[in-house]
Amino acid sequence: MGNKQTIFTSQQLDAYQDCTYFTRKEILRLFHRYRDLAPQLVPLDYTTGPDVRLPYELIGSMPELKDNPFRQRIAEVFSEDGEGNMTLDDFLDMFSVLSEMAPRDLKAYYAFRIYDFNNDDFICKSDLEKTLNRLTRNELTEDEVRMVCEKVIDEADLDNDGRLSLEDFQHMIVRAPDFLR
Amino acid sequence: MRRMSVFPHHGTALGTLGLTANEIRQEVENKTSELVSDLVNLSAGGRFQAIRSLPMSFNERKTIRNRVNSVKLSKTILPADCRQQVSRSFRRFRGSLASARQHLVVWQGTLKEIGGRFGTSVLSYFLFLKWLLKFNLFSLLINFCFITIPQIVHAPNISSVTGFRGLELLTGGGYFNQTVLFYGGYNGEVIVSTPAYNMQLAYFFTIAAYLVLCGVSLIYSMSRSFQNNFVLETGPVSGGAWRLLCSWDFSVVNEKAIQYNKNNLGIQLKESLSERLLEKNKTSLSDRIKRVSLHLLAWLLSLGLALGSGAGIYFLGTKELTINFDHDPNDLTAEASTLLLPVVVSLINLIVPLLYSLISKMESYSNPRTQIYISIIRNVVLKMSLLGILCFYWLNSVPNNISCWESFVGQSVYRLLIIDFIFCLLGIFFGEFLRNVIGTMCIQSLGVPEFDIARNVLDLIYAQTLAWIGIYFSPLLPVMQVFKLFIIFYLKKISLSMNCQPPKHTGRAAQIQTVFIALLFFPSFVGTLSMVAFTVWRLKPSDQCGPFQGLKTPFYTIFNWIDSIQDPPETKWVWWIFENVLRSELFYYLITLIILVITFFLWQITQGRKQLIKTLREQIVNEGKDKVFLLNKLQTIQKQRREMASYIPQDFDQTPHFNTNWMNTLPFDM
Repeated sequence: MGNKQTIFTSQQLDAYQDCTYFTRKEILRLFHRYRDLAPQLVPLDYTTGPDVRLPYELIGSMPELKDNPFRQRIAEVFSEDGEGNMTLDDFLDMFSVLSEMAPRDLKAYYAFRIYDFNNDDFICKSDLEKTLNRLTRNELTEDEVRMVCEKVIDEADLDNDGRLSLEDFQHMIVRAPDFLR
Repeated sequence: MRRMSVFPHHGTALGTLGLTANEIRQEVENKTSELVSDLVNLSAGGRFQAIRSLPMSFNERKTIRNRVNSVKLSKTILPADCRQQVSRSFRRFRGSLASARQHLVVWQGTLKEIGGRFGTSVLSYFLFLKWLLKFNLFSLLINFCFITIPQIVHAPNISSVTGFRGLELLTGGGYFNQTVLFYGGYNGEVIVSTPAYNMQLAYFFTIAAYLVLCGVSLIYSMSRSFQNNFVLETGPVSGGAWRLLCSWDFSVVNEKAIQYNKNNLGIQLKESLSERLLEKNKTSLSDRIKRVSLHLLAWLLSLGLALGSGAGIYFLGTKELTINFDHDPNDLTAEASTLLLPVVVSLINLIVPLLYSLISKMESYSNPRTQIYISIIRNVVLKMSLLGILCFYWLNSVPNNISCWESFVGQSVYRLLIIDFIFCLLGIFFGEFLRNVIGTMCIQSLGVPEFDIARNVLDLIYAQTLAWIGIYFSPLLPVMQVFKLFIIFYLKKISLSMNCQPPKHTGRAAQIQTVFIALLFFPSFVGTLSMVAFTVWRLKPSDQCGPFQGLKTPFYTIFNWIDSIQDPPETKWVWWIFENVLRSELFYYLITLIILVITFFLWQITQGRKQLIKTLREQIVNEGKDKVFLLNKLQTIQKQRREMASYIPQDFDQTPHFNTNWMNTLPFDM
């Protein structure tokens, strides 16, 4: 493994490799993708650990995320400041979790956080309504939206507190083999 | 997986308790050191996997990793740097091996692309195709190595009666007749070499080993798939709730496809809502009678069609036999007439399913999933009855009338496969390409054709059944099947991108997968196995050709071999096992009894577990109530504490007004 690259120190690369699911080559490739979004903002030398954040608009314009109805929530969940502006660490983290190598439990945890629009660690009815609106635009009437959300809470809420906690969500995911296949 | 509930992102959980910032920090620090010590105790590989799957932000993960490393460093005696380097480079090597292996996987990029454009249910068709390809490649490999190569190397004189004409590719007769492509091209000599290679045994055992391995692999896949996709249907998945949160296909990246999926999801949710409303309406008695009688009529029609086709095929077959009995090998028209049967079979396979879909349109189904399952059942009945009639005809009428009948059967299978392939190509062209053109240009109302996964998978299963049947009669038949599957993969992919749109009802893709694998096992593989077993056990092999000439049944090779190893003392135990254990009926009774007892025990265990799950669910509900109760109690206590602390001390006289033992009156112990 020739150390021909000068973007990261070897300790940084080791840390990246240990903390994400990517190999060295993939990390470098992702770095170049990150840089391509804004070449003038991202320096080629990361050894000093510069604090560079790319604004959400650039991240959301990536072809992999462009059409995803949840791209804003995904960016918010993975970014440090909660607004969608991502550093390189957040960027790597996001793609590591979304990749095929991440285990299903980890994806379930992050999916829960993505669906939790108001960040209160519970999916309540308003979160479900927002999810439904993102997924089906203008297809369902108000009544139907409300009925679907009620049905979901009825069926999935195990401890009967009227909202879905992380455990309820994970229980449901385990039983549904189509999830994130 | 460790649930990081102590790292609340806005401190809500702990915040309601009214603890101070210091106490929160202390709590977090405690949990972190617990986590670090847990991680340190894991093995190296497990540790890094655990670190990677921690659900925290990247920086927190890095901090944990650094702490774990420093703890490990302080514990080791050996030069820590060197050891860490070695283990790290070993891990990196393994990781790069895994990713290199991924590059070698055939079609990896193509499959990802298909999944991205059309979703996972269409992808499952292509994955199924790839899986079948693996079976055929394996068979080809072992047949070629163990049977064909020895035969070619020590070949007897193969005299072909005719030269090579183009027609052989279609009919398999003529030039190919005495080659190693078919059963007749092999002979059962013992090849004199050190050690002696018995061709009869080689032929028998290779085919047997391949079928056994196939069976084991199918049973394994079927049970894994069943376990993952079907078990524990109760609970949150039985309703429609899962559709909202779990069924969004994140692997699709094409904009049009995403819009399409959104529409679909809306339609599906609407349907499930209307189902719920409809349940409440009761259908009147006359409506129900009408519906039931329609169903009965449809079933009668379908079964009648299937039986009719079967009878027609049988009649054609016997007629073909009379033509074929005595024909001059140079007669081209007689050979071409052998193609009539396969063409008729393929036509039936093409037309009757269309009739079935017309019939099902006139019935009304409450559930679209029931409709799919019923159409699958009808198609399977049709195809399996066709194959059954053909097998009956091959095993019953053919051996008595034709010399070297195994080669004849092999050639028939070959013809069936080739014609099926040609019809598949025609189907892609006419069924998808032209229909797309018609649908978009001429008759707008028809629309773009849907990719019918069930029909395509059933076609694949049918072809694979034929290939399996043919392996005994024509060891090199998998060549054709491999070639065919390759071409179909690429053609279907191209046709998909140009012509079709994904199917509308995509729910429960995983369950349909299980059904397909089960179909591949149950009528398809089991039927093949029984047919080959019957041939080997009961039928007299032909006298003039093939490796088993002169024996009473092919199974006699085993008897002869066992007899031959009876005398040398070192192999006497094999003979003993065969004579006294495998051939005695008592052994099989005992095994059956033991298996029945074990099955009964396992069933009881399953019942007990179901009961346990029910009890645990109730316990979760109770725990939730307890949690709410405790939190409320804690809040009132905190409020009381704060109120107590805000008393001005001068208001007190010397005797305290409050009970210092108030802590003992709390209902719980902390």
